[in-house]
Amino acid sequence: MIMGAECDTLRRGESMITRKLILATLCILLPFVFMGCSGTEEAGITFSAGGAPSELDFWEALVRNFENETGIPVNFLRQPTDTDQRRQGLVISLEAGKSDPDVFLMDVVWIPQLAASGWLEPLDGYAAKSRVDLAVFFPNILRLADTYRDTLVALPVYVDGGLLYYRKDLLDRFGFSGPPETWDQLVEVSLEVQTAMRKINPNFYGFVWQGAQYEGLICNFLEFAGSNGGGVSFEGTDILLNTPENRIASEFMVDLIHRYHVSPPSTFTEMKEEEVRLAFQHGNALFERNWPYAWPLHQSPGSAVRGKTGIAPLPHFPKGQSISILGGWHLGISKHSDRKAESWKLVEFLISRRVQKEMALGLGWSPARRDVYSDPTVLEKMPHFAQLPAVFENTRPRPTLPYYSQLSEVLQRHINSMLAGRSTPETALSSAQREAQMIVDRYRE
Amino acid sequence: MKVYTFKELKESYFFLLPLLIFVGAFILVPVLGTMVDSTFRDVSFLKNRFIGLDNYLWLIQSPGFRQSLQFTFLFVFVSVPVETALGLLFAVLLNEPGRFRGLLRACVLIPWAIPAAISARTWELIYNYNYGLANFLWTGFGLSPSGAPVNWLGTPAGAFISLVVSDAWKTTPFVAIILLAGMSAIPDDLYRQAQVDGAGPFKRFTKITLPLIKPALVVALIFRTIDALRIFDMIYVLTGGGPGGATTSLSLYGYKYFLIGDFGFGSAVSVVLFLIALALSVAYVRLGRFGEEIK
Repeated sequence: MIMGAECDTLRRGESMITRKLILATLCILLPFVFMGCSGTEEAGITFSAGGAPSELDFWEALVRNFENETGIPVNFLRQPTDTDQRRQGLVISLEAGKSDPDVFLMDVVWIPQLAASGWLEPLDGYAAKSRVDLAVFFPNILRLADTYRDTLVALPVYVDGGLLYYRKDLLDRFGFSGPPETWDQLVEVSLEVQTAMRKINPNFYGFVWQGAQYEGLICNFLEFAGSNGGGVSFEGTDILLNTPENRIASEFMVDLIHRYHVSPPSTFTEMKEEEVRLAFQHGNALFERNWPYAWPLHQSPGSAVRGKTGIAPLPHFPKGQSISILGGWHLGISKHSDRKAESWKLVEFLISRRVQKEMALGLGWSPARRDVYSDPTVLEKMPHFAQLPAVFENTRPRPTLPYYSQLSEVLQRHINSMLAGRSTPETALSSAQREAQMIVDRYRE
Repeated sequence: MKVYTFKELKESYFFLLPLLIFVGAFILVPVLGTMVDSTFRDVSFLKNRFIGLDNYLWLIQSPGFRQSLQFTFLFVFVSVPVETALGLLFAVLLNEPGRFRGLLRACVLIPWAIPAAISARTWELIYNYNYGLANFLWTGFGLSPSGAPVNWLGTPAGAFISLVVSDAWKTTPFVAIILLAGMSAIPDDLYRQAQVDGAGPFKRFTKITLPLIKPALVVALIFRTIDALRIFDMIYVLTGGGPGGATTSLSLYGYKYFLIGDFGFGSAVSVVLFLIALALSVAYVRLGRFGEEIK
């Protein structure tokens, strides 16, 4: 009896173990079963776009409108807000040669990499065939950012460029007729206003801009350098960074912080877009370099500079002209897409005047089409749009190299240490040039 | 020694087959594939070409790699001892009999159970300059010498400390549970005997607990060291490798190259990481003298 009972529990125990084993095996295998299922092709085209949740909802609504109008089903692939994660998602599917996504949104700096990898469908033919008037776009953007080796590979949806924000009320109070046109004037005005303002506000600075070690620093550097006729250039296969133009511009960046003291010492440790915007918005700065997104925020209730802000093109050096670095998002069609004609229809829809106007009104985005900026409804809601075309006409992309990210990393390191006073402009630029040359040589065909 | 018959051998391999297939397909092939890829110039916008050890040469010359190697080692050498010490403390406390022992043990595991990305987001809120808890405590309790809030994630040192604190919070429970398991296996008689012999609590800990949980301690150290070496998620969410690349761990560094389409170089970074982890594990196993029985 006792033996039998023991045997029984043992057997029951055994069958328990067997059952658990089966369960565990199923748990391991189940994901693979589902992986197999997800490989089925979707009907219609796949469009991937990322952004803040409100932006994604906006895109989703646009895509549904497109479906209703054309009858082409679209599978909308929501990407995260983070730019690097979006890039990762794209690079993986494109490298794997997947037919989805067919259409996608790209940051302007990815275009050379994706185009050089042969992942972008040329768009000239489609544009000519459907008689899309490309002249409505800012020509410099189309030519410099969306064209790779004489082929149109992308079209802009949303453009961005560096602007000079200024305190209208303070310039009036101190008797200046308008924003400065040259950097020297900016320093002069800053010094006068800053000295007077410090008596009331000890945290007041003349000019705030992005100097922390990150991508934004390169945009600022290229604007300073570009407004002196400098930047990143090539002589054959030699990259040129340590040029007289760049040295003068770099020296000026350092002087703003260490000689004139019109920019705070925190410029090189923590000043990114938001820090700069908040300093200006709290009334702690006379001039600010930032992107157009700051405008509606400066005008929001509770902002100390509401109704006291003006925008202008960035200043320049005596022998240069004002330039602004291009940001923003562009549309591309995958070379691997199996529905290119329908994909083009979606692109055409998204760059149409109607949709671009909707984006401006709905998201406050600065559209890529010039004709939206003169639209009365848009101007009524966003009066600052009247000044933006003058800035966007002078935008320039960052160096259009497939390996731009590595180049930027090197520049960030050296220019930031120069701003911190750890190296002179001369040594910073020459070491940056040496390291950049290594990258150029590595990625040259 | 028992000699197996051919049939027995055949059967045993047959039973091992599913595991071998699984390990082969999901571990061996990717690892070998990565090693092979690291000897190629596998860049999405250039022609694929065999380049031998060029990727590794480039790696040695790269200042970014040196910086991230330095950071990774510093992170391992600071975070692992901190986590082990705290884990040991928790394990000792949780090993004491008490009414809420079960409940407390479950509570301690919570940080370990939360996915890293989510706990990193939570810590991001804590470190937030404007409304984070860290600055609230820092300025609110007069800890800050100047009374000014600190940009925790904005400076290299601040970001490093913040990462170690978050990582310790998250992984101390793991160490504690492993050590606790080791402690529960120690028979109570030993302690009672020691007590009779007049050994105090400290002596009992150093002479009985510590030597007997050594195998568990080595296991915990191996796991923690390897995990700390290849840390990715926490950093990716909290600092993204910044400020200025100061907190770019090796896995994040390699990932950034995958992002720009340089798969060969990214693979080389992964292989280096793999070799470092392998070397450290071997060192631990040697030091821990596994297989040598405790007398």
